[in-house]
Amino acid sequence: MIRRLLHYSSVSARRLLVTELVFIVATALLQGIAFLLLVPLLRNLFRGEMGALGTWLIALAGVSIAYVVVAWFASQIGMRASTALLDSLLNRLGDRLVNLPVAWFSRDRSGLITGIATQGAMFVSTMPYAILRLILTGFITPATVLVGMYVVDWRLALAMTVMVPIMIGGYRWLRRAIGRGDAVHSVAVADASNRVVEFARAQPTLRTAGEGAVADHLVEQALQRQHRAYRGMLVTGGAGIAAFTGIVQLSITVVLVLGAFLAIGGSIDPATLIALLVLGVRFNEPIAGAGDLGGGISVARTTLDQLDELAAVTALPEPAGAGTPADWSIGFDNVTFGYGGGAVLRDLSFTAPAGQMTAIVGPSGSGKTTITKLIARFYDPESGTVSIGGVPAPQLGTSVVEAAVAPVFQDVYLFDDTILNNVWIGNSELTREQVIAAATRARVDEIADRLPNGWDTRVGEGGSNLSGGERQRVSIARALLKDAPIVLLDEATSALDIGNEIAIGDAIDAVRADRTMIVVAHRLQTIMTADQILLLDGNGGIRESGTHNQLLAADGAYARYWHERVDAAGWQLSAHN
Amino acid sequence: MVVDAATDPAQAENGRLPNRVREEGFFAPVRGSLAAIIVLSVLGAASSVVPLIAIVELARELVPALSGQPIHAGRVWAIVIVAVIALFVSFGTAFGAGAVGHFADAGLQLALRRRIIRHLQRLPLGWFDQRSSGTVRKLVENDVVALHQLVAHAIQDVLTAIAVPVLSLAYLFSVQWQLAVAALVPLAITAATYPLMMRGGAEKYRQYDEATAALSGATIEFVHGIAVVKRFGQVGRSHRRYQEETRRYVGFVDRWTRDTSTAFTIIELVTSPVVVLAWLLAAGAWLVNAGAVTPIDVLPGILLGLGLTGPLMKLGSSAQFLRNATKAQQSLAEFFALPTMPQPASPRHPAGHQVALDTVSFSYDGQHRVLREIAAACAPGTLTALVGPSGSGKSTLAKLIPRFYDVETGTVTIGGTDVRSIDPAELYHAVGFVFQDVQLLRASLADNIRLARPQATDTEVETAARAAQIHDRILRLPRGYDSVVGEDANLSGGEAQRVTIARALLADAPILVLDEATAFADPDSESAIQTALSTLAADRTVLVIAHRLHTITHADQILVLADGRIAERGTHADLVTAGGLFARMWTDYQANHARSLPEGVQR
Repeated sequence: MIRRLLHYSSVSARRLLVTELVFIVATALLQGIAFLLLVPLLRNLFRGEMGALGTWLIALAGVSIAYVVVAWFASQIGMRASTALLDSLLNRLGDRLVNLPVAWFSRDRSGLITGIATQGAMFVSTMPYAILRLILTGFITPATVLVGMYVVDWRLALAMTVMVPIMIGGYRWLRRAIGRGDAVHSVAVADASNRVVEFARAQPTLRTAGEGAVADHLVEQALQRQHRAYRGMLVTGGAGIAAFTGIVQLSITVVLVLGAFLAIGGSIDPATLIALLVLGVRFNEPIAGAGDLGGGISVARTTLDQLDELAAVTALPEPAGAGTPADWSIGFDNVTFGYGGGAVLRDLSFTAPAGQMTAIVGPSGSGKTTITKLIARFYDPESGTVSIGGVPAPQLGTSVVEAAVAPVFQDVYLFDDTILNNVWIGNSELTREQVIAAATRARVDEIADRLPNGWDTRVGEGGSNLSGGERQRVSIARALLKDAPIVLLDEATSALDIGNEIAIGDAIDAVRADRTMIVVAHRLQTIMTADQILLLDGNGGIRESGTHNQLLAADGAYARYWHERVDAAGWQLSAHN
Repeated sequence: MVVDAATDPAQAENGRLPNRVREEGFFAPVRGSLAAIIVLSVLGAASSVVPLIAIVELARELVPALSGQPIHAGRVWAIVIVAVIALFVSFGTAFGAGAVGHFADAGLQLALRRRIIRHLQRLPLGWFDQRSSGTVRKLVENDVVALHQLVAHAIQDVLTAIAVPVLSLAYLFSVQWQLAVAALVPLAITAATYPLMMRGGAEKYRQYDEATAALSGATIEFVHGIAVVKRFGQVGRSHRRYQEETRRYVGFVDRWTRDTSTAFTIIELVTSPVVVLAWLLAAGAWLVNAGAVTPIDVLPGILLGLGLTGPLMKLGSSAQFLRNATKAQQSLAEFFALPTMPQPASPRHPAGHQVALDTVSFSYDGQHRVLREIAAACAPGTLTALVGPSGSGKSTLAKLIPRFYDVETGTVTIGGTDVRSIDPAELYHAVGFVFQDVQLLRASLADNIRLARPQATDTEVETAARAAQIHDRILRLPRGYDSVVGEDANLSGGEAQRVTIARALLADAPILVLDEATAFADPDSESAIQTALSTLAADRTVLVIAHRLHTITHADQILVLADGRIAERGTHADLVTAGGLFARMWTDYQANHARSLPEGVQR
């Protein structure tokens, strides 16, 4: 645990931490010595030897003063170490986030990362002083006392020593029992809360069903499973705690009984015995205290585990020197890829010529978006190569690919900033006028016009003040600004109102000139005007490819698809059949 | 000092007790257990003092032996037996209190989760928007669990922290008052220093929460925006903002730590066993020297005086968890305080399926009216389309009929009866709806289809699935109708949509609220969805939110909304002829439609 803490510390934090630990060990030793002094002190007190008592009192005062000084530094340094550790944890986290591959963020990780940044880092940073100190003291102080006891009375000391391995064994068993129950329980908790969330989401439908419906049973079952798992954890954990505390109590009983036996037999000095008994009852307190720290430790440990996992995420391989593509064509050669499960793309090969538009169509789940993500090098294929201008992406390097490709995906993220600054992200070198000009070509000016402060209106967290279509227009404007030779476009699938649909059509036309475009196409207009159409077959391959006219003439799958789409476009709803 | 500043017992106690008084009903399911915890904790605390007293008594027996007097073996053993029994009673009761507390916590968690479920069932449907999932998850996953500290630990910790010092002091004063006074000194210094440390504590906690919220905001933006900034070479920008918030946060924590560190360390040292021990021994020796007490009388002070501060400090170390528990309790209480959908005292039955709105006005926040003085009627068996630019209020209007929200003024009636006086169960049998956000449960497809009518037979389920154009797709799944959504049934958006249409067909509500947006996400599903929707709409009273104007040219009535008012109404032909708002929308629409259906394929 200490090693892991040091691993995540900056140089200065590490120095402070090590110093802190040294001071903590010193306080624990001094505490043990002070406790041991109780033996001669009480002996002289009970014997009424006030002179010797005075001498020992001076010794105790000396140890106490040393203790106070060392503990003072331990505390002050500990606080500085906490802050330094907090600072280095948060900085480490930030630096790591920058270097993680984009694909890692494809699932929403904000909850995890925010948890580490706020609660987790704070727990870890206070852990050395708040928890480690108590654990170290819980071991070192009793050990010091135990060693000293051999000098005073070896028989009682031996009795205590025998209990030590039993205690350690008990403690290990306790931790294992708790850990086992914990694992079962956390699975049940996740399951139960998923069910409750599902239950909440489906409420509109469930109201029709009334109470006692399927969903009610499902959620109740999940709650009961979770309840049983929790109780199971309590039984195993409780048994462990009972056993461990029982052992500690037993060890005190042994000392008490043995001490009384020896005293009655006259083979131990009663004053010494009393002093040892005083130590004995206090002996167990730091140890028992260490057992109570479970909550804090587990939060800190979870955070460290999460940081380790972050550190273990591997990035894509990068070339020693960045490659140079011959042109801006894109080639897929026998590409196979899946997201850890079954293959989404199988032995897929095609070429998207430079400066032309390639439209990808096909059933949902056929891998349309996956193709764009491979071009943007979110991932590398499992086999085969994705190349730009004839050079495979791993030889080009992520930074070259990132510079060459402008993605316009469906999940457009907007910063809680002005609408202008959100476009400006596309290229911070440009002037305000240039940005507005480019944004106007993507028809973002119409959006700015309707907002209260025009271009300088804030768009709200995640762009909540803009509709989906409007967000996609901002995203297209960014791509225009970036002026990358390759544009990837995932057309909006949700129904857009007429204004947006026209505006996006215009924006795409503005982007299209002289660029290589790969479009996951839904609009008939886009599909029809593409230079090349790839119809995916739904099994990871391409069923047909060619221009719109060629494919219609072939009268195959694409022709059927097209006619169905055109028919669907003329559908009318009526209450009278 | 954030965590450590919270490590003060008094702080924890103050934060907790008022809440428990205010939220008496909260812990009602475990009230019996709470009483047991209290009794066991007090017993445990009392019996934990007994072995210490036994050691004192043992000393009184043994010390005279130093001056050659005989030892009464019988009395020694009696004292040892009492001490051992007390040790085990103390251990047993403390363990018992912990066990009862934890099982009570388990019971309370179950009870609270069930209560959350019950409350969810009674909230107005309008509450269930995008954000509600996150709220519900936090309630059942974090808040309920955070209460653990309150039930399973706090009561026992607080009682022990009070009972042990009180009993010890009582014993000390009864034995020897001078040393009892000496034992009080560390407590007195702590009490005097404590306010110094906590000066402006409430304000500091507020600032801490603010700094945390700011850091968390910057982190979320950093994570969410990282794909964007990476693509545009702007990582530095987000990273800088995160770093700035980090600096501010760490800076605040650092200042707070420094402000409180002196007082904090003083308290820690004054209550440390070493200092207390040295002080009590010195005081005892001085009193013995002065002839005020006998040597043996020093012993109780040392034994019990050392134990006065321990339980208090232990209580302090769990203060951070207590603070979380209190916050969690507040957020649960806020959730339970959300007003439920008002239920009619004496429900009335609708006569027929005519839907009518009479001078309806509505706002979400009580200030900005989204709908103003809407008056409209939908005759049984007709199709009414709602059109208008986004933000015109058409979705809101549609949702007033199945009572997602209740009107502010005016009435919504079904068959002449105000929807608010219809029994909710009956209302939902009368009004069905299919919206864009498809919700399938992680259950079998058959169960998903019969969700709204649990007693439907397999044949009925299959008939509905056929009509909704999804039967064949379901048969292709490995376990057919028994395939579980999300496990062995991974459906596309369009397929899921058809399952919900099958569900609505099976429910067979005479009134139907529809969102027409058959997004072209799933081109191969599009025409199947359309066929399914046509089947569903047949012979019902339908209210449809229309996005593509040509789909509703046959509607019996079109309501054109603008700024929350009905701007125009009539059939398609009427409205086009009238040359108003709808006519302009239609012209725009056709121009765009012509673009998306290029020459040669135009219908």
